[in-house]
Amino acid sequence: MSEIQENGLGAVETKARLLDLKSLDSPKAMKLYRRFDGIIILILFMFLILGVQIQFTLTAGDWDYWIDWRDRRWWPLVAPFSLLLFIAPFTYGIWARVRLPIMATAVTLLLCLVSWLSRYLNFHEFTHFPLSFVFPSTYIGLGILLDCALAISRSLLVSSLVGGGLFGALVYPINWSFMAPYKVPVEFNGMLMSVADLMGYQYIRTTTPEYLRIIEESTLRTFGGSVTPLTAVFSALCGMVIYMIFLWVGSWINGLDKYTKRIV
Amino acid sequence: MNKLIAGKKWLGSVMAGLVLVILAGDALAHGERAQLASMRMRTVHWFDTKVEPLNIKVGDIVTVTGKLVTSEWWPKHMPSIDETVFLNMGVPGPTFLRLHSEVNGVPMMRSTAFPLGKVYEYKTVMRARVAGRYHVHPILNVKDSGSLVDKGTWVEVAEADTDAPFVNEVTTLPGETIDLETYALKGVYTWHLIWIAMGVAYLLYWLLRKELFIPRFIRIRELGADRANELLTKKDFVVSSVFFTVTLAVVLAGYLWAENKYPITIPLQTGLVEVEPIEIPKGGLAVEVDHATYDLAGRSLSMKFQMTNNNDSPLRIGEFLTANIRFLNPNVDEGEIYEGEEMVSTDGLTASVDTIQPGQTVAVELVASDALWEQYRMTGLIHDPDSRFAGMIFYYDENGQRYFQEVGGAVLPNFF
Repeated sequence: MSEIQENGLGAVETKARLLDLKSLDSPKAMKLYRRFDGIIILILFMFLILGVQIQFTLTAGDWDYWIDWRDRRWWPLVAPFSLLLFIAPFTYGIWARVRLPIMATAVTLLLCLVSWLSRYLNFHEFTHFPLSFVFPSTYIGLGILLDCALAISRSLLVSSLVGGGLFGALVYPINWSFMAPYKVPVEFNGMLMSVADLMGYQYIRTTTPEYLRIIEESTLRTFGGSVTPLTAVFSALCGMVIYMIFLWVGSWINGLDKYTKRIV
Repeated sequence: MNKLIAGKKWLGSVMAGLVLVILAGDALAHGERAQLASMRMRTVHWFDTKVEPLNIKVGDIVTVTGKLVTSEWWPKHMPSIDETVFLNMGVPGPTFLRLHSEVNGVPMMRSTAFPLGKVYEYKTVMRARVAGRYHVHPILNVKDSGSLVDKGTWVEVAEADTDAPFVNEVTTLPGETIDLETYALKGVYTWHLIWIAMGVAYLLYWLLRKELFIPRFIRIRELGADRANELLTKKDFVVSSVFFTVTLAVVLAGYLWAENKYPITIPLQTGLVEVEPIEIPKGGLAVEVDHATYDLAGRSLSMKFQMTNNNDSPLRIGEFLTANIRFLNPNVDEGEIYEGEEMVSTDGLTASVDTIQPGQTVAVELVASDALWEQYRMTGLIHDPDSRFAGMIFYYDENGQRYFQEVGGAVLPNFF
């Protein structure tokens, strides 16, 4: 009580906060809070589904739509970049206000679920693409690692370095478990293709020609052709930086509440 | 009833919306009329497009063949086809499976480049995959310019005789025969379910607790930012550590399992292939464009030429082709019309000179006139930023041998 007054709060605010604190001992109030928490989860998750779906579609769409776009150079860079810039501001807000390390897992899980819904209804049922060609990638494990790094270290900085790094580095390995079969070689009309390339050729996409794929384009061609590990290292670095930058963006957004208080 | 409806303006809107939905027709084409007239006239001249057969069942083969000439009058403000181009097929998604495509005998799984003013012969073989009625167009996707669409041909695909699911089998280099329709999906489902289960378990651990958002917010406000971490318990630390370790272990196990199961893998393949243009027989007709006018009211393009016949045989102009529209000269009984072919004006071309004798130089006026100009929105020609036309003249010697060459130049509109 005295601390609050020392912080310069007015009497009304101080009294309100005291009542809030006392309410935590009231079963009736706690029942009400649980209902509100349910509503918060519902609204927050709906917003996250909508937001991440739009954001990921606009920034990493084709890389995740088609198996013949998921290369070893660009996709492992684009996907974590796109996701981390969405996850970081929410993580900051939820961490600062309620200390729940859940946002990365929530975002990646919801993205996975809504992607499956979209691929099944839009791509498979409506436009006849086989699911083997358009299944989504998974990033849930990366979300768990990022959240756990925060929960264990209790530090946004350490979680940026460890979690952000792992989030960038492990995009390829986490998906390799079910993506490897699509990189098996096939001979077709005298040319070497992967199964994914062949699917991209056979399942006609009128407005997505072969040259539109942004794959295998970069200058990382040294170190004996070890493209995948090199990309992973670079992606880890990018993951750390992007996550830190957008945590800062989150802190800035989080500070905007002072304006709402003034308006109120 | 009137009282019931009175004041309910929204009801009218809903009804109007319903009527629109009911009256809306199917989208049956690929926007071939939507492109600028100049884009269609001065980019690629498609001809001899043949789609056969036109009535098939799911699983049957359709072959699309034809020729194309890349225009020397390619608009300078459009990225050119001599950089990167991909031979594609305009069908509603993967309703057909592309089995083979080639240009001048070179397989076209990848992109290529077509220098301007050259002739190419293409072929695409497809297998019907989904029953329906489709407007099949050959397409060239030109990098940074967009899609150049040939005329469409309707293909009717009936259901297959059996109820067996569609199968698309290929044999991989390691020797395994696989069905691409369902290939490796079991692994995809399994791994996704594992990760979804782990994600749900993690979220449930954090969300199924007595004090969640509001109570934690109140406590953190009371404790202050410095002591907020006190809300995290030892159990939270242990559980998070377990999740962290298990997740890393599953990632590693999945990776090693896949490496072991699929030891031979390659990166995605990309690159350009080169195609040599084909040589065509020269007809020996020297054509010099004098003047061209487009008559808006008459819906006709009038072109004046100086033509010199350097051939040993008399020559007759049989056809003018532009923007995929064929204008045939009825006096010259040549030029095959294929089954199901659209955009053909069988008597749309008149020539002021019927026969050009060997060695003769003569002024010839060709008039290509038909309602197809209007129907295919070619009247937009007068709104182009670079008012020029281009097209192909097809002419025949006395043996019926066909020759063709591109003509083009400035065009002036005639408004009255």
